[in-house]
Amino acid sequence: MATVRLSTLKKVFGTNAPAVDVDELKIENGEFLTLLGPSGCGKSTLLRMLAGLETPTSGRIMFDERIVNELDPAERNIAMVFQNYALYPHMTVAENVGYPLKKRGVPKDERTARIAEIAALLKIDMLLDRKPRQLSGGQQQRVALGRAMIRNPAVYLFDEPLSNLDAALRSYMRNELIRLHAKLRGTMVFVTHDQVEAMTMSTRIAVMEAGCIQQLATPDEIYERPATKFVAGFVGTPAMNFIEAEVVPDGATARIKAGDFTLDVTQPDGMTAPLQGPLTLGIRPEHILLGQGTDKAEITVVESLGNEQIITIDTGRRELVLRSTSGEKHRIGEHVTYALRPDRLHFFAADTGRRIGPN
Amino acid sequence: MMSMVVRQSARAFRVGLVWLGIFLIAMPMLWALLTSLKPKGDTLTFPVAIWPESFTFESYSTLLFDTMFVQLFLNSVVVAVGTTLLVLIVGTLGAYGLTRFKFRGAELGAATILFTYFLPSTIIVVPIYLTINQLGLSDTLTGLVLSYTTFALPFALWMLRLFFQTLPVEIEQAARVDGASRLGLFFEIVLPQALPGIIATSLFTFIIAYNEYLFSFIFINSDAKKTLPVGINFIVKTSYEIEWNIVMAASVLMTLPVLIVIVSCQRYLLSGFGVGNTKG
Repeated sequence: MATVRLSTLKKVFGTNAPAVDVDELKIENGEFLTLLGPSGCGKSTLLRMLAGLETPTSGRIMFDERIVNELDPAERNIAMVFQNYALYPHMTVAENVGYPLKKRGVPKDERTARIAEIAALLKIDMLLDRKPRQLSGGQQQRVALGRAMIRNPAVYLFDEPLSNLDAALRSYMRNELIRLHAKLRGTMVFVTHDQVEAMTMSTRIAVMEAGCIQQLATPDEIYERPATKFVAGFVGTPAMNFIEAEVVPDGATARIKAGDFTLDVTQPDGMTAPLQGPLTLGIRPEHILLGQGTDKAEITVVESLGNEQIITIDTGRRELVLRSTSGEKHRIGEHVTYALRPDRLHFFAADTGRRIGPN
Repeated sequence: MMSMVVRQSARAFRVGLVWLGIFLIAMPMLWALLTSLKPKGDTLTFPVAIWPESFTFESYSTLLFDTMFVQLFLNSVVVAVGTTLLVLIVGTLGAYGLTRFKFRGAELGAATILFTYFLPSTIIVVPIYLTINQLGLSDTLTGLVLSYTTFALPFALWMLRLFFQTLPVEIEQAARVDGASRLGLFFEIVLPQALPGIIATSLFTFIIAYNEYLFSFIFINSDAKKTLPVGINFIVKTSYEIEWNIVMAASVLMTLPVLIVIVSCQRYLLSGFGVGNTKG
């Protein structure tokens, strides 16, 4: 198990803008770090550079205090789980799981013992003589995990390993991975575009966009205090509502004018300058309250999920999405009042999209 | 009701076509087999008797014990096996390189390679003969193997390259992460996966080399070094008359190895053209 440190790491393909451009990233020993972002944000390229499958254009990758830039994948003592599992189709499950040990010259007896141990842990012991094509997706996934786990790697790398599974199995495997991480205490780097995976499993999440890390923080912090408008919009389902607004400071309050409504909020503490000027207001669906306040709207879409309703309202100027858990069943066409919880507003600079507020 | 009748007759028509095809292809072979089993005098009769009046293996024993057939057969096998091995060794490594390593001109190189395959052998036979001659390899089986490789290799390279392209690169990356060297993963991971393609390519190469006539005819002078396609001709011409039962026996025996190889590799042949394994 190792600490991973990246500094001024850059990967440029041809003459394009850098695919990865990371100033500093330290992954703690035993941490489960998720690289989260939309496709093309550079998260997989970053992972592949950690693996040694891609060469950085510049910058350094260090495992503990050792620079590994020049090392082959085999010499880095990493284990990787691929999206398609990448099992060796002509080998049995046992041979697949044992392959990394075989390549390291571990004697056969010891190998067999280790394979049995890992197989029992992952509940694939009855599959050891099968070929990968005779396994279900979930079973293949376990075999791929087993192959990764068998040799106590310095770092585990996961490249969207759950995205080929169906919803039920995916949720089950998330659960399993959380357990495994708790048990193995290994340093794990997990790449995904699925925010649920990121939120549920990670110690910390690095949200990436256009090659850069937008925010590196715990899941709660990412959700509650997104550093940029991009992060705010990417994490959370349904997505955060954004409202362009104009703020006029008035002593200890800030008057927010958004066209269809005006809202007075207390100026947040610890700010160098008061809130003012044009900015983007962000509010999560669960922080818009139906049946409160005086602002009026009409319900245009209702998505019922049983325990809650995702409701789209039309305020006359814009549509807002909110989440209602009150149990009251709303219907399309209903006229309602709504209010935004003033203590749950997020403010982002209109130009840069950066969060405004005390950090 | 009507449409069912139409469908049934369409089906009958298709089945009929298939049988016609089978008949056209199989009939000459069957006739060759039956003729080879006829006594010497019965081969050319009128009216035509396809079924022999009496069966005899006399033509086979003549062929095997009184002619150079066995020697020629061995020559052919040596040349075909030699060509196949050489083509496979160079072809798999070359095709893998063309598939997995990015370098300037890789695509152009691959296209040019295929182009050389399209050159008719009548055009290349003279230059190749001169080259082989200068190497001191004319009238040797080694010279034949080298010259067959010149036209079997391009196609093999192309076919293997297409096959390697269907292999998911992640599996090789996984092997690298797991500790395999480039060469190690080529033998342990790539080749086993490419087996159907390799078998299909070997068969193709084997048959090209085994059947080749022109180069063998021009390059080989010594009777003892002739290959079967040329040799059968010369077995026949030494007799006063053409003994058709012996010619047919030779044809049957010559077809046998190819037939055996194809039948035993059918499973791979079918999957050799167009399957990979990315699906998880």
